[in-house]
Amino acid sequence: MILFGQFLEVLVSGLLAGVLYSLVALGFVLIFKASGVFNFAQGAMVLLAGLALVRSLDMMVANGLPFWAAIMLALLFAALVMAITAFMVERFVLGPLINQDGLTLFMSTIGVTFIIEGGAQMLFGSDVYPLRLFPSDAWFLFEDSFPGGILVSKIDVWGGLIAAVLVVGLALFFQKTKTGRALRAVADDHAAAQSVGISLNWIWFIVWLVAGLVALVAATVWGTKLGVQFSITFLALKALPVLIIGGFTSVPGAIVGGLIVGAGEKLAEAYLGPFIGGGIEYWFAYVLALVVLMARPQGLFGERIIERI
Amino acid sequence: MRAPDGPPVTSGDVLLSIDNVSLSFGGVKAISGVSFDIRKGEIRAIIGPNGAGKTSMLNIINGFYHPQQGIITFKGEARTRMRPHDAADGGIARTFQNVALFRGMSALDNIMAGRTLKMKRNMFWQMLRIGPALAEEVEHRHRVEEIIDFLKIQEIRRTPVSRLPYGLQKRVELGRALAMEPELLLFDEPMAGMNIEEKEDMSRFILDVNEHYGTTIALIEHDMGVVMDLSDRVVVLDHGIKIADGTPAEVKSNQAVIDAYLGVAH
Repeated sequence: MILFGQFLEVLVSGLLAGVLYSLVALGFVLIFKASGVFNFAQGAMVLLAGLALVRSLDMMVANGLPFWAAIMLALLFAALVMAITAFMVERFVLGPLINQDGLTLFMSTIGVTFIIEGGAQMLFGSDVYPLRLFPSDAWFLFEDSFPGGILVSKIDVWGGLIAAVLVVGLALFFQKTKTGRALRAVADDHAAAQSVGISLNWIWFIVWLVAGLVALVAATVWGTKLGVQFSITFLALKALPVLIIGGFTSVPGAIVGGLIVGAGEKLAEAYLGPFIGGGIEYWFAYVLALVVLMARPQGLFGERIIERI
Repeated sequence: MRAPDGPPVTSGDVLLSIDNVSLSFGGVKAISGVSFDIRKGEIRAIIGPNGAGKTSMLNIINGFYHPQQGIITFKGEARTRMRPHDAADGGIARTFQNVALFRGMSALDNIMAGRTLKMKRNMFWQMLRIGPALAEEVEHRHRVEEIIDFLKIQEIRRTPVSRLPYGLQKRVELGRALAMEPELLLFDEPMAGMNIEEKEDMSRFILDVNEHYGTTIALIEHDMGVVMDLSDRVVVLDHGIKIADGTPAEVKSNQAVIDAYLGVAH
């Protein structure tokens, strides 16, 4: 019973951590689906959103605003910052590069990364800023069934809930709205989408805006977990294996990929660690991604790539 | 099926005119100094051998290409540059040489995408599917179902288009263009890659669209027989230059056209 309790605890914490990886991976998927661009800047956008949020929040609280009002205003402010970023990226980077090769666009997002990272730290500072949106203690569940119960961290549960709301919202947006239909149309065929009156510039702004808002959501959770700091940009590296496993073009893939990576690395750490040494958590996801690449290069949920020769 | 805005155009008036248009890609001249017009309500064909500049001409009309020289007048409004989504907004719809559908979507969703410009409601209402947004969605669905009936594709409306045979894909693409309620409908080789039966079906639909909705049609086609049967007037391009313009009978007996198609010893 102790063993099973331990297993459950590791599994649950792994799955919840995985949801948080999915939050970051989602931003990549959205942009890749709609424009075929791998957005290297997604991690930087999480940092920018987090900094804008925490710095404006601290300032308003210091000026005596009630905490809930300050949170609302800070979220609005951070969303505005992401909207301005989306506008600038479309206007000055992607707009002029319309109809260019995918690799060119990818390179341009590397440039965007440096500008966002530098700009964000110049505007908002480069220290570690603690963010307390969610409680950071833990619950002990099922104390009757298992000795000591199962430890579940509250912030991970919050992250899971928020991710669920976000995914439902995104699904409704993609399936039910005119703009969502237009996004799917652009993802399938640029020329045909333009011919029915969809403006590519407008769609790209929308996509980067949505990815920016997803980055903001990720920043609220990760910022509370780790504090808002530069190393948050490295989350993008953790999102890579998630994307490879789930498939670059699939929203459900990003979720499932995140769950697999999260649960996989925690279980591997707990059960393989004693035999082959600790620290498995840091590389397990990449090995998993490598295996998926060999067996199913398009990822579990990705579109099959069939090329005629 | 006329777009609500813009000045009324009566039958026989010039709907679109191309005036001395030239287009080149780097050093390659695709079109040089071509002029012709399209009248309201007619079926106008643009023909010519391979590399004559037919598709380039269509891409100019629809705003994909911007000619270096010349003026295009649509509904009395002259322009030199226009982006494709503005052309769509002005009432120009098109199909593509190799079908360009939204492959991940059902036939119904593809045709609904043609209504993009007609839907005005706020996306938050659309997400919740309540109030005016629902009424609007229902109205657009109604119009789309009419088009589906018209094209006789009721059974496949839920099928992802990538699973449909080529002939039906072409029909869905026509449906998407019709959903825009265009004033001018451009066809880029509507019969390419079709068998005789599919060609006859497509010809029938083109004529029906023209009669039933009163839509002006411009089409590019390789198949001379089809063109001669369908069109009211024909313009012939060769190596980017206009070599003939007139009724099918006139064009058919034009020596320059015969030479261009059969080749002459220089």
